[in-house]
Amino acid sequence: MIDFSTQTKNTWCPGCFNFQILAGVKKFLEKSQIKKENLAIVTGIGCHAKMFDYLNLNGINTLHGRVLPTCLGIKVGNPNLNVIGFSGDGDAYAEGMAHLIHTARYNPDINYLVHNNQVFALTVGQPTPVSEIGYKDKTTPQGVKIHPLNPIKLMLASGASFVARVFSDVGQIEYVLQEALKHKGFSFIEVIQPCLIFHKDEHYKEKMYSLDDKGHDKTSFEQAWERAQEFDYNGVSEGTKIPLGIFYQAQKPVFEDQYPQLLNLKKKKMGWVGIRR
Amino acid sequence: MKYTILFGGEAGQGPNILTNILGQALVKRGYSVFYSRDYQSLIRGGHNFNVLTFSDKPIHSNEGKIDIIVALDENTEKIHKEDLKKNGIILKGNKENMYYAGRLFRLLCIDFEMLEQELKNLKKRFDENIKEAKKGYEEEDKDFCEVKFLKKNDNVFMNGNQGISNGAVKAGLDIYYAYPMTPATSVLMELAEKQEEKEILVLELENEISIINAGIGSAMTGAKTMVGTSGGGFDLMTEGLSLAGMAEVPIVIYLSQRPGPATGVATYTGQGDLNIARHAGHGEFPRVVLAPGNPKECEELTSQAFYFSQVFGVPSIVIGDKHLAESFYTLTEKPKIEPSRKLGSMMRYNSYEKDENGSATEDPEIVKENINKRIKKFEEIAEKARKFDQFNSYGKHNSKNVIVSWGSTKGAILDSIPDLDVRFIQILHIEPFPEIKKELKDKNLILIENNATGMLGDVISEKTGMFVDDKNKILRYDGRPFLHDELKKEIEGRLKR
Repeated sequence: MIDFSTQTKNTWCPGCFNFQILAGVKKFLEKSQIKKENLAIVTGIGCHAKMFDYLNLNGINTLHGRVLPTCLGIKVGNPNLNVIGFSGDGDAYAEGMAHLIHTARYNPDINYLVHNNQVFALTVGQPTPVSEIGYKDKTTPQGVKIHPLNPIKLMLASGASFVARVFSDVGQIEYVLQEALKHKGFSFIEVIQPCLIFHKDEHYKEKMYSLDDKGHDKTSFEQAWERAQEFDYNGVSEGTKIPLGIFYQAQKPVFEDQYPQLLNLKKKKMGWVGIRR
Repeated sequence: MKYTILFGGEAGQGPNILTNILGQALVKRGYSVFYSRDYQSLIRGGHNFNVLTFSDKPIHSNEGKIDIIVALDENTEKIHKEDLKKNGIILKGNKENMYYAGRLFRLLCIDFEMLEQELKNLKKRFDENIKEAKKGYEEEDKDFCEVKFLKKNDNVFMNGNQGISNGAVKAGLDIYYAYPMTPATSVLMELAEKQEEKEILVLELENEISIINAGIGSAMTGAKTMVGTSGGGFDLMTEGLSLAGMAEVPIVIYLSQRPGPATGVATYTGQGDLNIARHAGHGEFPRVVLAPGNPKECEELTSQAFYFSQVFGVPSIVIGDKHLAESFYTLTEKPKIEPSRKLGSMMRYNSYEKDENGSATEDPEIVKENINKRIKKFEEIAEKARKFDQFNSYGKHNSKNVIVSWGSTKGAILDSIPDLDVRFIQILHIEPFPEIKKELKDKNLILIENNATGMLGDVISEKTGMFVDDKNKILRYDGRPFLHDELKKEIEGRLKR
């Protein structure tokens, strides 16, 4: 079996849900049997980004917010690579928002995980675009005034061809990555991840349910849109429901398959580096 | 002999096709031709004009006085007649541009067959064009001058952006990324059109931030990658430039200047971005900055940019401007293309300082070691750069007067100095800067730049400790290029005997 571990000392807080996500990713990598040389990972900046240090894979721990254009560049640099991007919610929904919307439109065959803990954790607790109204920290002593963004709705509206939400649990991560791998096109996966220090989400778990269990039809945009409204990221109340699983999946033209130059590279099983001029 | 023709009209009336047809024909007859474009930031209407100067001797710029004005609209005559020479003429009264092609060819005593051939080469509207051209040719009865056939030649008539595109392709370009921005856009068009034939990929993404980061992603896979933009877009790329410096990713950036700050004068020319090319990006990292002065140098220096990037894993910037990008020059020599290898396959890159496994590190020893390795490249690059011509020298080699300049001002300077007691040093490599101290020592230095502060003068002071006297700085910063008749007077007033 291939070992994806590194010798780098892990510096996540004890009990951090990032450990679950990392374990889920490793399990997926082991089961999927993709060769290391056919894989590339890209991480942003924040706690999630340490995934890069703990996975012995090629790629880059890039700038804050720039995960998706970097993934796209790698994909068109060598369309044979399986590219997985990891972002935090600050990365994906604040600094990199334009890239998120446009990558959903472009639909390259990239798998993208957003570790959403609804807070800027590594910079010690400032609110992100998905923090709930009333959230307070030292930079917002009067509390957040703005309603949080709903990324699932945003991705559906932007034309993403695969939209999922899972909890930071080994099994769920492994499952959704397997499904995303099978999917040809941009796979948007939001991972609900409590932050033990700044955003515990204590009541989330009891509000969660599986879309599969409710007979959800993931090919129906209308059903997906309806389910996406059930959780507005603005805290939980008695009636809150947090659906998990694949909201929506559709076959749409894949970015890199629409350029004969890139199809040629796929046929030859190489990147541009193999083209001698 | 030397003649200057101005073609003016509203945007959309087609003065470019007209200028190009005459230019191509004159180059084929063995003449040296130069034309520049002056157009406004609008799609239809307004006032656009091209100025074409040709000579039986080498010519690389325009002069201010006009021999023939082709007025496609009434405004053209009003605006430009004060620049018309005493015996100059104005062609007007018709809306069809090929009618003027007919009259011009007749005025210059060029056979109609040559015009017919040029119209065939256009591959569109031939029947209408030839009818209009014939009408003009027959209606004109003056011989303005006789443009005799000089010699058969392989000279090429092209602009700077075609040079950048050709240079990139010849250097082995795989992927070009750009977001539209004048005056870099025509590289995007040029390469997009050629992408299937040349087997390259050309992509336009949502903004310049995406462009530079996608470029870095592609370059990491080993693809030879270039991105193109102007000042504002380059500002947005700055964060990515710093990443390329840290991650040591080979990427070539074409920076085509226009007057700033901000939107500035969007469709005009300037050289105000030398400092951002040299210094943009946080942190300390090596880079290469190259400044071509004509389309041949665009090809050569673009290929060198790929060479430096691939050998040293650094960002290389080719800095041009609108006047160079969009003006057409007559090329009499083939460019010298520098070949470069491709890197191997993917590795582990990082925006953090990284350890031997490519993981982020804060270890002071490793941090220092990494920085030393990057800083050492400054010297290594400088040493490799010596195998190239880092500057060009023209004029009287032993003169006590020395003009120093860079980029597109080259054309007007070359056309100003043939009768003057002056040497002209054109800097090609801005970073690493050539050893020119002994060339400048004890000379009467004259600085010529298309900006308001004389940025190259500052670089010279920084690198050599020598200063150009303020009264010897010839600076133009109204968005317009230098004209050689006016520039010559400016230079003459500053020469020492």
